[in-house]
Amino acid sequence: MSKFEATGRTLDEAIETALVSLGIRRDNADIEVLNEPNQGLLGIIGNKDARVIVKMKLEPAQYLQSYLQELLQYMNVEGSVVVGEDDEKLEAEVSGSDVGSLIGRRGKTLSDLQYLLNVIMRRQFAGLNKMIFLDVENYRSRREKTLTQLAKNVARKVIQEGREQALEPMSPQERRIIHLALHDLPDITTYSDGEEPYRKVVIAPS
Amino acid sequence: MKQLLEHIAKGLVDEPDQVEVKQVESERLIVLELKVAPDDMGKVIGKQGRIAKAIRTVMNAAAIKENKRVVVEIVQ
Repeated sequence: MSKFEATGRTLDEAIETALVSLGIRRDNADIEVLNEPNQGLLGIIGNKDARVIVKMKLEPAQYLQSYLQELLQYMNVEGSVVVGEDDEKLEAEVSGSDVGSLIGRRGKTLSDLQYLLNVIMRRQFAGLNKMIFLDVENYRSRREKTLTQLAKNVARKVIQEGREQALEPMSPQERRIIHLALHDLPDITTYSDGEEPYRKVVIAPS
Repeated sequence: MKQLLEHIAKGLVDEPDQVEVKQVESERLIVLELKVAPDDMGKVIGKQGRIAKAIRTVMNAAAIKENKRVVVEIVQ
């Protein structure tokens, strides 16, 4: 568990130093006072600094799990949250029978909620250098399969007809999936055209 | 709805104790007024309103479940 020991002229100063070092907020901190500060005689002799140990109550993965679980409750969504973690990312997976409203039209709610979670987690843990990924009932992996299939079908048609074709507007993540799916095909190039949020991938013969 | 917006706002700001949400509700419409500490205004709005937009998307998703429309106003 992450903790930090700090000293300061006042208790607040010591606590603040420890919070900044851990990169967390006071409400996610357990504070143990080791020494009360002591203004010695005439403020000269026997001055003693405050000394505290501050512990992180919830590590990032736990915090994300409980934050998201509480969010579902306020949204009246019955679902459970599991968070996985590795060196680069935190992955939150929501499952349940009633979680469709978290996905939204073409995954819009899902990607906006993922964005919010990234901002919130960075605010709560200043030193956090991991991306936060959110998935609901495997929507992203299912969507990735669909998009890859779509890309290949359209690419085949483009090669046959020798004419470029634009797909429907997609988010940057979705466009990336298309580019990657066709990356290895020698007869095809892909590029994006238009302005967000209407930017689309164009598949063209090379 | 009120609790949901409070939960999101508290995650974003530096001073969660100063987050206040007022809810006015009619048959089809919910209006939520979000108030935060002056220094936290930018934290709930974001560059080019990106955070505020994302908040509204999530609030809308919750409102649709209740068959309502929701308006989020960020007030001073």
